[in-house]
Amino acid sequence: MNLKIFAKRIGFLALVIWAASTIVFFVPRLSPRNAIRERFAELARSGGFSPGDLETLITNMNQQFGLDRPLLEQYWAYLGNIVRLDFGYSLNRYPSTVADIISQALPWTFGLLLVTTILSFVIGNLLGAISAWPRAPRWLRSFATPFVLLTGVPPVIMGVLLLFFIGFRLKLLPLGGAYSVGIVPSFSFEFAFDMLRHQLLPALALILGSVGGWVLSMRGMGITIQGEDYVNFAEHKGLTGGRIFRDYYLRNTLLPQVTGLALALGTVITSAIIVEGLFGLPGLGTVLNNAIRSNDFPTIYGIVLFITIAIAVLMTVLEFVYPLLDPRVRNQ
Amino acid sequence: MKRLKLALAAVMAITALAAPAASFAQDSLAASAPKEITPASLPDVPRNQTVVLGWGVAASSPIGVTNPWALPGYTHQEGNVFMWEPLMYFGIFKGEFIPWLADSMEYTGADFMGLEIKLNKDAKWSDGTAVTAKDVKFTFDGQLNNDKLPYHAAFVQFVESTEIVDDLTVKVTFKTPAPRFKFEVLTEKFDTGIPIVPADWLSKQADVTLAAGSTEIPHSGPYDLIAWNANQKIFDYRSDWWAVKAGRIAEPAVKRIIIANITGVSMDTVAQRVVNNEFDSALDMRSSVIGNILAQNPEVTTHTGNESPFGYLDWWPNSLWMNTQLEPYSDVRVRRAISLSVNRDVINDVLYEGAGIASIHPFPLYPNLQAFADSPGVKALEEQYQPRKYDTEEAAKLMTEAGFALNGDGLWEKDGQTVDATIQAFENIHGDIVPILVEMLRQGGFDAAINFGPDAYQNMADGKAGLYMFGHGASLFDPYEAFNLFHGKYSNAIGTSAGNNRFSRYSNPEYDAVLDSIAPLSSDDPKFIEGATKLMGMYWKDQIDVPIIQWLHRIPYNQHYWKNWPTEANPAMGTNGAFWAQTGTLVITSLQPTGAQ
Repeated sequence: MNLKIFAKRIGFLALVIWAASTIVFFVPRLSPRNAIRERFAELARSGGFSPGDLETLITNMNQQFGLDRPLLEQYWAYLGNIVRLDFGYSLNRYPSTVADIISQALPWTFGLLLVTTILSFVIGNLLGAISAWPRAPRWLRSFATPFVLLTGVPPVIMGVLLLFFIGFRLKLLPLGGAYSVGIVPSFSFEFAFDMLRHQLLPALALILGSVGGWVLSMRGMGITIQGEDYVNFAEHKGLTGGRIFRDYYLRNTLLPQVTGLALALGTVITSAIIVEGLFGLPGLGTVLNNAIRSNDFPTIYGIVLFITIAIAVLMTVLEFVYPLLDPRVRNQ
Repeated sequence: MKRLKLALAAVMAITALAAPAASFAQDSLAASAPKEITPASLPDVPRNQTVVLGWGVAASSPIGVTNPWALPGYTHQEGNVFMWEPLMYFGIFKGEFIPWLADSMEYTGADFMGLEIKLNKDAKWSDGTAVTAKDVKFTFDGQLNNDKLPYHAAFVQFVESTEIVDDLTVKVTFKTPAPRFKFEVLTEKFDTGIPIVPADWLSKQADVTLAAGSTEIPHSGPYDLIAWNANQKIFDYRSDWWAVKAGRIAEPAVKRIIIANITGVSMDTVAQRVVNNEFDSALDMRSSVIGNILAQNPEVTTHTGNESPFGYLDWWPNSLWMNTQLEPYSDVRVRRAISLSVNRDVINDVLYEGAGIASIHPFPLYPNLQAFADSPGVKALEEQYQPRKYDTEEAAKLMTEAGFALNGDGLWEKDGQTVDATIQAFENIHGDIVPILVEMLRQGGFDAAINFGPDAYQNMADGKAGLYMFGHGASLFDPYEAFNLFHGKYSNAIGTSAGNNRFSRYSNPEYDAVLDSIAPLSSDDPKFIEGATKLMGMYWKDQIDVPIIQWLHRIPYNQHYWKNWPTEANPAMGTNGAFWAQTGTLVITSLQPTGAQ
């Protein structure tokens, strides 16, 4: 890859981030809602303020957040902040900064979604490849069937079923929360075990419904590749089944799946919003959900932008990594 | 060379990914509140000395904010109430003041121009220093002088000066008679009233509204904040709590309070955790959910035991509000026709299993207000104006008089326009009642629909056409505050935003004159009752809004580990049972263990 292509792709990355930032800035402002007014109205409704003070406080807060300035002025200030990765203060959880909120929530989302996505990918592709591999024993190939049947069951439905039967009725696993109430996080085996127990149901809810998708696409790829010349050639060379499966069959079928993986990482956040809410996990999905409900747009655009940047960067990295996996791309 | 370029690209990409993390680390130093409060170790407290509550812990306030003056980050509702205390509480269901930091709080004359507060001699902050008149004066002066504080307007309106008489006595001088100041501002009940704050600590802060407080701020309440993160908030009882020595209350049995975060969690999951005895109490719930909880765990009860309506009256009775400056709602006949189209008996039957929750009053029927509603004068007006009446024929007559005619769709129409009766409301709290109202109004010929959209509140504030389902967070003791919502001074012009709970924009000089005349009077003054009765009549006659329902809090009380929750049968200290309300400390410190292990 020459420098020109490299610069082009970095430029494209910057363009994507700018476009996303701009959309994220303007879309919440199209809403007729006024986050600060709603925030104070909610506090007033619950008795926190004498109504007579509301308008003064709203004016003060609008000034504090710069919301009384012209929109274009706000936009330029916002772009400047984005360059510094400063997403500002949360309206709803002021004086917490959006960056603080993201950094607190990120480990929960990262831990759950990354692990479940990669696990789904590995299990699904392995089962898919095996189910299409003619030399695999029949019993081994049948392993994929239950996952295929569960394909498309939304994580939220799966989560509700798991919660009801495993958590509520059988009481085998906790009903929610990131860890048991009353336990303080620590670097101990006891805490790690407790935390893992709490992650099992949400992880299962995400994995069970998504493995089948990988199985089906991998199986399709596997069947297509079976008639390819290089597979026939390997067989005629007398290579062992394991070697053909690993080096000729699996490696070639994996290429489009890796692209799919990168795209899947981008879409998992939508599952996160629902699953984290269902299980009471304090991750990015829950924070985003709460921010949308309260129209806390600095937090909304901070999180959305963070996700956009992460995905865009990931896709760019993938473009750089792809030639390492496929020599043909390297020569183009 | 190509591999080198690729490696370089990978390094740059990884650096780009890592950059946000580096930036977060820097930004976190700027935040005034700590990211998390984590103790080095947490002493063991058995489950039967621990109360576990399902609620939000970082939904409305940032982690670490415990200073009641931190704005807008502080809320008493997420457990901070266990750290702070007022001069007095009010037991709403007993109709009694409960002296707390103050032994007494008496008006100095019948003109309500002065108030003398005497503090309890044993009252202490958590750092061992006494709660003195200096703290009370600092609290009052802060509210008076700092326009960012929540009760600033009330202090500016009424308070002339504050004076320290001695270490335990403060005198407040009012600039105008303030018969309700003691109750509305200085007494905590539901979600209103102010706590006393520590003068020494707050006076050292550069900006009292930006100091987080965290675990450092001295407090007088019984519980210390021990741990707080996005998952939970933990308070431990401090054995040197002054109120026990002072004889205010017996030694609390609850040694630890854990609030588990349920923000964003589905109500069904919360219900399951209550049924499984994981939670001792949680947020208030819709009737179908609370019914299922009771059916599945007989140890869980509610304010009304296992009987409908499962809850107690909140201070937020809901009406169909409308902008009385806007056609056709500017016509009292249209407003009255809407009220006549609402069948309150059906509401009671369908939603409340026959319990009389449908309302005709803009205030909750607590003991004093019930007495007012039952007074002969008000009863006579009720007979005269029949605010509960359901009569579609009379409604049709009024609409015809107002110039409307039924169109081919059976909807009232005038000048080619139907009556826009879209109800602006909130799905999470009005999801059961509003669809019923829409159906009733459509049957009455009004072009009704629902807007549960995110713009609903703004539409109310802006006075858009339609109806607004919203509460009256006002009266608790006498009807003055509820009637004050309709004073002409709040009748903002169309095009400007209406204040909260002032959506009707009603203007009537005669009404204002009566209201102003009773403002300086105590609620037990016969002239007050007389004036308030007149206002009740004007409210019904002018149909300022259309009262629909009293508001219920249906809170599950799990009696597996803890008993003595405040209920109808056992009022305890007479407070409502919401642990998140200002009286939450009294609820939790009154709990008694059942003996379950």
